[in-house]
Amino acid sequence: MQTFVTEAVDWPGTAPDLREQVRALVAAHGERDPVRRANCWTKANPQFSKKLGEAGLLGMTWPKEYGGHERSQLERYVVIEELLAAGAPVGAHWIADRQSGPLLLRLGNEELKRRWVPEIARGEAFACIGLSEPGSGSDLASVRTTARRDGSDWVIDGQKVWTSGAHVSHFMIALVRSEAGSERQQGLSQFVIPMDTPGVTVKPITDLTGAHEFNEVFFDAVRLPAHALLGEEGAGWKQATAELSLERSGPERYLSSMVLFLELVRHAETAQDPALAELVGRLAAEAWTLRLMSASVAAKLARGEDPALEATMVKDLGNSYEQAIPQLVQAAVDWERIDAQVVQAVCFYLLQVSPSFSLRGGTREIVKGIIARGLGLR
Amino acid sequence: MSDTRRMLAEMADPLFAELGADATMDRDGARLEQLGLPALLMPEADGGFGGDWMDALTVFRLAGYHALAIDLPAMIVAKTAGEGTEAHFALMAFARTAQIAGALDAALALSVGYVNERQQFGRPLGKFQAVQQSLAGFACEAAAANCAAVGAAQALERGDAGFEIAAAKLRANRAVEVGTTVAHQVHGAIGFTHEYGLHPLTRRLWQWRSEYGNDAYWSKRLGTMVVDAGADSFWPGLTARTD
Ligand SMILES: Cc1cc2nc3c(=O)[nH]c(=O)nc-3n(C[C@H](O)[C@H](O)[C@H](O)COP(=O)(O)OP(=O)(O)OC[C@H]3O[C@@H](n4cnc5c(N)ncnc54)[C@H](O)[C@@H]3O)c2cc1C
Repeated sequence: MQTFVTEAVDWPGTAPDLREQVRALVAAHGERDPVRRANCWTKANPQFSKKLGEAGLLGMTWPKEYGGHERSQLERYVVIEELLAAGAPVGAHWIADRQSGPLLLRLGNEELKRRWVPEIARGEAFACIGLSEPGSGSDLASVRTTARRDGSDWVIDGQKVWTSGAHVSHFMIALVRSEAGSERQQGLSQFVIPMDTPGVTVKPITDLTGAHEFNEVFFDAVRLPAHALLGEEGAGWKQATAELSLERSGPERYLSSMVLFLELVRHAETAQDPALAELVGRLAAEAWTLRLMSASVAAKLARGEDPALEATMVKDLGNSYEQAIPQLVQAAVDWERIDAQVVQAVCFYLLQVSPSFSLRGGTREIVKGIIARGLGLR
Repeated sequence: MSDTRRMLAEMADPLFAELGADATMDRDGARLEQLGLPALLMPEADGGFGGDWMDALTVFRLAGYHALAIDLPAMIVAKTAGEGTEAHFALMAFARTAQIAGALDAALALSVGYVNERQQFGRPLGKFQAVQQSLAGFACEAAAANCAAVGAAQALERGDAGFEIAAAKLRANRAVEVGTTVAHQVHGAIGFTHEYGLHPLTRRLWQWRSEYGNDAYWSKRLGTMVVDAGADSFWPGLTARTD
């Protein structure tokens, strides 16, 4: 048995230049406050996204015809791991660049592609994911928001919840029930819903830190033209779950607390505490391993394989790692020291947000269930 | 995988499976010599196999997978680095990392096979979510150890692998804890017997975790390396090692 076959990742020759480009851009336009750099892919900064678009660092792998840059998947991987490691405020465009754009290019009709893809690549159009509903969390097949045909139009009614970035987004890709009376995975379809369509209402949800990052989204007789249907009618389940493997495999699944690790190293430079050095060693070993695993999944995706099991393992290990960092740092640092202020601020912020790491994108239990099935259990 | 490496694996796999945990140097050493395995890393010009570090990884991992009782990895390493040297210690740490990776995969396979067979409460244990979730966690740890071993081998191919071997041995050591605990837990009492084939794997895993640097040893060394280099060098340093 070998559950995870790694191969040498053929890092692109352009990687060093791309890294320099990203580092310079982040130094000039990124966040200075280390607390703001933590969990950075939920921090929306439309101006920063626009800068990335101007630099050709969004939609990197997409066809030029749609505003992309026809770079390789691994070149894109280099750019996103640099952005995350530097704690750049990438939240506004993150979902659009990671999954909505690719999904539109793969399944969208010409009208949808022309409308949205070039704007995403410019860093001017942002997207949100409409899966969860009040009655539908882990059990996603129970969604109840409906789409009903009216002439050639579609009319959407219902509600989504926990929608990250809905308040800064220009459109949502929503999973809804398009066949009345259908059950479970049957009769679901995906729709592209511009957020400024009459009948769409976004209401903020304040999280436990007091921040506004996710929302409730209500649909009251939202009328959409026929071309708003994404892909095939009734194939929504298959389409949405394929999207999840893109969503689960990226370096954002282990780098959300990287800034705290770096602040720990900085603190250890002056604190001269052997226990801190040991913790640094342990966390560095894990970061090195996770980077290898995550890049290996990216290399497989780039070759057109679907390493779904490996991607799920990276998510589980990565989430556990980024969640453990604030707990371990809290236990190890001497908080009486006055030079511990920065590491403390980042640590105490991440302690509060880290519970979400093993919820978003599929909970730890659901993810482990997928791994178990991959092992041949059930 | 290259053709020679596949050939090597096809030769070593059944042989190590046959010799396994009962192998002795007196009885079986000659067979390993005959196949030229101890000279795996020596150049062909010197009568060796001319293998590279990825070949070594393959052999070391299979030795771990089958809990080979002869310390073939030590024989191989002894031919490239003098005992007692820093280089020897590091290469043996790499060997143990690969053996841990193999043994974890074998213990995982044994565990998955067992819970799919063994019935309690009228169904296979593998149907119970609690059992599934612990085995999923085990699989992730085994995967991490295997990737770490590959990463260290790749670094040895590139040249200086000081950082990678430290990180890989430490990561593999940590995987031993979850792996051995879960493997024994899901096996129940049968796994605690001398007759059943789990202990040759788990007892070696505990041994290899402490040999050539336990967790404390490598975390101190790696941590000191990272802290001395400084926070601002960590990420650029990490990426420069693979670019
Ligand atoms: C910060 C954040 C951002 C998010 N952003 C988005 C977004 O943009 N778009 C979107 O659609 N959703 C989003 N979500 C929602 C997220 O996908 C859900 O929280 C997740 O799917 C779990 O659903 P739930 O919260 O309803 O929990 P529940 O499904 O009610 O689960 C509660 C607990 O029970 C466990 N559980 C549930 N079922 C089982 C089972 N069968 N076996 C064992 N344990 C089980 C879960 O693992 C969990 O621990 C976000 C969530 C967070 C925290």
